[in-house]
Amino acid sequence: VIPSLGAIAGLLLTGTAAGLDLASGPQVLLARPLVVGTISGLILGQPAIGLAIGSAPELFALEVLPVGASRYPDHGPGAVGAVAAVALAPAPELWRGLAVGLLLAMAGAQSLLWMRRGAARMANRAAAALQALEPGILGRLQWDGFRRDLVRSLLLTLCGLLASWGVAALPASPPRWPPVLNAVALGAGAAAALNGALRSAGSGRRVVALWTGLVAGLAWTVLA
Amino acid sequence: VRPERLAFLRLLTVQASWNYERMSGLGVGYAAEPLLRDLERSDPQRHADALHRAGGFFNSHPYFAGVAVGAEARAEYDGTPGGQIERLRAALCSPLGALGDQLIWAGLWPAVIGAALVGVRLFHAWWIPLAAVALMTLVRVWVTRWSLRTGLRSGMRVGGALQATRLRRWVTPLGVAAGAAVGAAVPLVVHLGVRTAPEVVVASATALVGLLTVGPRTMKVNGVQFGVAMLAVALLALAVAG
Repeated sequence: VIPSLGAIAGLLLTGTAAGLDLASGPQVLLARPLVVGTISGLILGQPAIGLAIGSAPELFALEVLPVGASRYPDHGPGAVGAVAAVALAPAPELWRGLAVGLLLAMAGAQSLLWMRRGAARMANRAAAALQALEPGILGRLQWDGFRRDLVRSLLLTLCGLLASWGVAALPASPPRWPPVLNAVALGAGAAAALNGALRSAGSGRRVVALWTGLVAGLAWTVLA
Repeated sequence: VRPERLAFLRLLTVQASWNYERMSGLGVGYAAEPLLRDLERSDPQRHADALHRAGGFFNSHPYFAGVAVGAEARAEYDGTPGGQIERLRAALCSPLGALGDQLIWAGLWPAVIGAALVGVRLFHAWWIPLAAVALMTLVRVWVTRWSLRTGLRSGMRVGGALQATRLRRWVTPLGVAAGAAVGAAVPLVVHLGVRTAPEVVVASATALVGLLTVGPRTMKVNGVQFGVAMLAVALLALAVAG
């Protein structure tokens, strides 16, 4: 099922805004898969799928926080494809959406690296203009960086959407597969989130809070 | 548009030209440019030197970069020697970065995201993630404005203003909230697709392997790479098993 042109435009806009929010700013959580997934689900008329598929890659996104100059995956644009892969499929399978989202997040990490190296090359090429303080040179470099980020985010979202149509068109997996693959994907996500949380927590009250929260969450899942 | 307002708007996308050489230096220079315009009329040479300084290497936290932008601009108007301003700029990188990392990246962000995940899993409400974005937008606007004004007000004495800020008091409570929220969110999200006993065994085994191999000591692969690899192995195993 191919969504309407309006929905495609909305999805492209969502993914592009997410990519921009992560790299250029303003960094207000618009790039988080939970947010992108929810908006994508609303656009596709399937908010429940958007919430579910947005939540799962969030486990992986919690591993690496954009601290300092650390290199991190870009989950935002990929989350659009992840939701579309599940929402557009006749037989929705969570693991397929997650696979699309994770592969796109890896591509996003590489694209960020290229973009930042490109920004350095651009600044080096403009070294003479910077030295001479040509009028508007700082603005030109800043907007050039913003445009590169815009194109990067748009292309990533487009790739995610194309991948999602391909994945949605695949025949349903054998019945035994989805439970195993979902469990593997979510188990890996749990490891990623806990690794990140343990790294941030260090020791003391924060790590106690982490374990308390974990026990409370586990208790809720058992009781539910 | 007033120079301070323009600088504030530019600070919201301060990392657009971020690169591994100057880091956010160009963005900081671009944000400082409207604040230095009056200097162009009164002292063109000083203005040129000030812009050179403002666009050089700088790395801190995007939310708090305004402190450096404001302090540098104020120091330029106060006629502080260029060398001192450069030293101030270099000295601000670490404390601003550390404050932002502890308060925002490792505190407020995971706390808000974790709480949103818990809220979504418990109440299935689509507005919760959007409320999280609205909250962070308010925080971003407030912190950026506070940073810029603190810098502009303090100039070379900005170090004292940073020492005195009450924002530091939020580091520990936000860290605790982040730990609790993320801890609670993980099992709730896993519960999305893991319900039966065999699924719990598979998910737990995968998580255990991940915790042992993707931990801080063995950061050869990150969680995303591990997830993709585990999915590929599981797919292969299922295909072989028929």
